[in-house]
Amino acid sequence: MYTSIDDIENELTIMQLSDSFFPTGIFATSNGLEFLFYEKNVRNVHDVLDLVVINLKQQIGPTDCVILGNVIDSAKKGEINRIIEADNMLYASKLVRDIREASTRSGIQVVRCVSEFVRDSTLLRFRDSLIEKKTHGTFPVALAVCCNALNIKKENGMIIMMYGFTVGMVGAALRLGIIQHFEGQKIIHSVKPVISEIVREYSKVNSLEKIWQFAPQMDIIQMSHEKMDSKMFIT
Amino acid sequence: MIHIPRIGIGGPVGSGKSMLIERLVPILAEKGYSVSIISNDVISKEDADRMRTNLATNGKLLPENLVIGLATGGCPHTAIREDPSMNLSVIEEIETNHPNLDLIIIESGGDNITTTFSPILADYFIYIIDVAGGDKYPRKGGLGIESCDLLVINKIDLAHMVGADLEIMKEDAVKIRKQKPFEFVNCKTDEGIVRVVQHIIHDVLLDSIPKSLVSQRV
Repeated sequence: MYTSIDDIENELTIMQLSDSFFPTGIFATSNGLEFLFYEKNVRNVHDVLDLVVINLKQQIGPTDCVILGNVIDSAKKGEINRIIEADNMLYASKLVRDIREASTRSGIQVVRCVSEFVRDSTLLRFRDSLIEKKTHGTFPVALAVCCNALNIKKENGMIIMMYGFTVGMVGAALRLGIIQHFEGQKIIHSVKPVISEIVREYSKVNSLEKIWQFAPQMDIIQMSHEKMDSKMFIT
Repeated sequence: MIHIPRIGIGGPVGSGKSMLIERLVPILAEKGYSVSIISNDVISKEDADRMRTNLATNGKLLPENLVIGLATGGCPHTAIREDPSMNLSVIEEIETNHPNLDLIIIESGGDNITTTFSPILADYFIYIIDVAGGDKYPRKGGLGIESCDLLVINKIDLAHMVGADLEIMKEDAVKIRKQKPFEFVNCKTDEGIVRVVQHIIHDVLLDSIPKSLVSQRV
């Protein structure tokens, strides 16, 4: 039950940022799924689900979510230098150029978009740092700064990011013809406990030193996709 | 931040978008205008690669890194209208790194029903169709044909072969587009291309002197 109008508005804000209509450019990414499809290594709903879960557990959870949570904490205190430090760290951890560039392009646009409808001093300072090229603007960091500006808790920020990633992968699988529309919803439903567990585990990690990721096969797949001559998706 | 004028060129697959660009850029370059091209491609980077080879590598009309292919995840309409984030990011990078450019051309595939460029992305919208779709094409309308600033009808040399009557296309284009212009072209022979260039120089570049010539004068 909602206790106040603020709660309802907060939920609506979460929905707004989670919506695939929210302009991030992420719809154009497949995270390497397209390469696997053409290699015939992803054939059905189970394969797509596995891929989503591996990405969430081995990359996005332990790295992006931890960064996002910590940046929201830093943003609350107005610690712009800590935010930039996290941004640098995350940028350096993204091994695949295409993904690094897509992440920063999305991040910059999210900051520009949210700055249009909310005023927040940390958001403005972060936006100025982007304009002055003092920081990169990776998507998780940019999203965290925006979440703080919109009063969204870090747990919800993590959910927004992982839900967005999942929907993006499902959308790519649908457009490639790997799965059908009901199967897409089945994947999103199946991923909910995984997202839940990741939020529980990584929202408590309050040090940037503890980020990790280990999905070497995914790294190779994404690099292979990046080098494909003909492709529909950004890696 | 500097704003470089931008043209969006949209049209169905095979209508001649890339070929139009390949014909426009040499004339603009000859007049001293510097151009960058972003190609939003449905399937591949093929168009961007072809333009890069023809205009940059062989033609030396612009640097190779100013012909940019952008994958759109099978959603070119989205990438130029509802969510132009990736295009805008690339444009911002171009505007920061190449402020002396006169024009950015953004190419995107798209049908006549839904294609339109976000005004934040493109200052001017050219929609190109070809006669092979039949002479009914202009009167079928749609966002692309009706809302564009300039409608270009390509491959007029094929009209008699496909039973398309150019007079009907002309009458329908006048009717459906009201006061807005359209041009018949043949990108293979350059017929009508100069008129398209004139529209660009007058309507988009506002008859301004190319930046390279301005700096020479100073």
